[in-house]
Amino acid sequence: MTDPIPAEARATNLRLWNAWTRVHEKSAFYDVEGFRAGATSLWPLELEELGPLVHEGTTLLHLQCHFGLDTPSWARRGADVVGLDLSDEAVALARRLADEVGLSRRAEFVCADLYDADAHLGDRLFDIVFVSWGAIEWLPDLERWAGIVARHLTLGGTFYLAEIHPFAGGLDEVPGEHDVRVKYHLLPAPDHPDVEPIEGSYADRSADTTGLVAYGWAHSFAEIIGALTGAGLRVEHLHEFPTSPAPFWDWMVRDEARWWWLPDGEGGLRKDLPLSFSLCATKPAG
Amino acid sequence: MLDDYLKANLANWDEAVSLHVGAEMYDVEGFKKGRCSLSAIEVDELGPSVREGTTLLHLQCHFGLDTLSWARQGATVTGIDFSGEGVATARSLAEELGLSQRATFVQSDVYHLPEVLDGRFDVVFTSWGVLLWLGDLERWAQVIAHFLKPGGVFYIAEFHPYAFLLADDSTRDSLRIGYPYFMHGEPQRFDEPGDYADPEATLRHTVTFEWNHGFAEVIDPLLREGLRLDFLHEFPYTPEGLPFPFLEVCADGLQRVKGHHEDFPLSFSLKMTKER
Repeated sequence: MTDPIPAEARATNLRLWNAWTRVHEKSAFYDVEGFRAGATSLWPLELEELGPLVHEGTTLLHLQCHFGLDTPSWARRGADVVGLDLSDEAVALARRLADEVGLSRRAEFVCADLYDADAHLGDRLFDIVFVSWGAIEWLPDLERWAGIVARHLTLGGTFYLAEIHPFAGGLDEVPGEHDVRVKYHLLPAPDHPDVEPIEGSYADRSADTTGLVAYGWAHSFAEIIGALTGAGLRVEHLHEFPTSPAPFWDWMVRDEARWWWLPDGEGGLRKDLPLSFSLCATKPAG
Repeated sequence: MLDDYLKANLANWDEAVSLHVGAEMYDVEGFKKGRCSLSAIEVDELGPSVREGTTLLHLQCHFGLDTLSWARQGATVTGIDFSGEGVATARSLAEELGLSQRATFVQSDVYHLPEVLDGRFDVVFTSWGVLLWLGDLERWAQVIAHFLKPGGVFYIAEFHPYAFLLADDSTRDSLRIGYPYFMHGEPQRFDEPGDYADPEATLRHTVTFEWNHGFAEVIDPLLREGLRLDFLHEFPYTPEGLPFPFLEVCADGLQRVKGHHEDFPLSFSLKMTKER
């Protein structure tokens, strides 16, 4: 099969994620020290919605795991986890951290592009496939992605996705105002990636990322849901939220629970626009 | 409160029926001569599920053109609407077209329908500008599940939640946000003399209360009722007229956002099945 990601985009995004790994390891956003001391990196949202399905010995595949704080956080709750990420520096850091906190026996990491997952995972099956926050924007082809998810789920297994909302992906700031407008595609355009120079990182807006570029792809609910149902999964829930786990612009506002909001211009928070969503789907047993 | 909103909206709709019967947008004369009022979206996507004898319940049917179009395709149809004017007009159209044997019309709002209508249906259908009149989609989903036979299909073709977000003064280069995606239960109050099918009209009952609903608010209650999601589709156009200045009608007769013909969704369709 042909590679769904153009070679230039693949190499460019790999360069970016390796650079971001170095920035993120030291960022307050990721708080690696807190993780070492025992804090979970997972959001209350994932813990509430997926947590009840994670028990001692649950097998969990974490796709696009970055340097893996969420992956060993699930391991701390008893799961046997495999994290997969394209960045060799991220995977090396993930392995080192898992080792440091004594989780290397139940947290394994695979360095591979998402679309090469089958070659690395073989016929391994998992009770849960977990994907979260800023993952699918790096993927041009969600049908291939959903196929990988479905092939590595046990019968009756659960796929869980917590993501930036497709609508938020289409927004840009209004120049000179703390307000947003629609600028980018709100429907998928697999042949037209957004190619944007990178200024800092979502985790550290002041980081020096000179010369780095990102290739990203717009997605929509119809596309996401269609890919999953097309792969034989059954949608169990769809939830939407006016909050984001990371700021899109430096004028966004953080609440006590660490969620980022758009300000309403009058000292309050905007609750009218969707910034994130979660989706749960299962692989029918019969 | 819901009843007060309903009352205001009903007065507006009762008045709109006679206006719509004469409006070019509804083309009742063409319909009488055989024109199908359904758009290509519904015909392509739900058409294969509608055969001779299929029982179809049409929620919020207005004065019944779409209901009767499904009857012409062989279905035995029941149209319901909260407007007595709408239901009376639908009945007389059915009579005039010789379809009253296979088309029944019932006056009821969606929420109270189980109290006035018996039976279960192969298909529950609803379309174009219906959700904005509903403040409680939990009860709506319960009504849909109640009236579906096991194996029955729910289908909706509707304006996209994004279609209602843009500010009136949006331009192709600056699509600003003027209205909410999430409404948290409270409707927006509008007071406009015109009508979507006849902007020149002067209505007496001009105040309406309307809700926008996000995808989760539409889909999640149906999932909780045990319906299986078969598909969700999004379209960068709408076959029905929306009265927004940032839209334009294209050569194919479909409305799109100016300067955004491919990338801004204006419609969606959703098909779900009751498995048990």
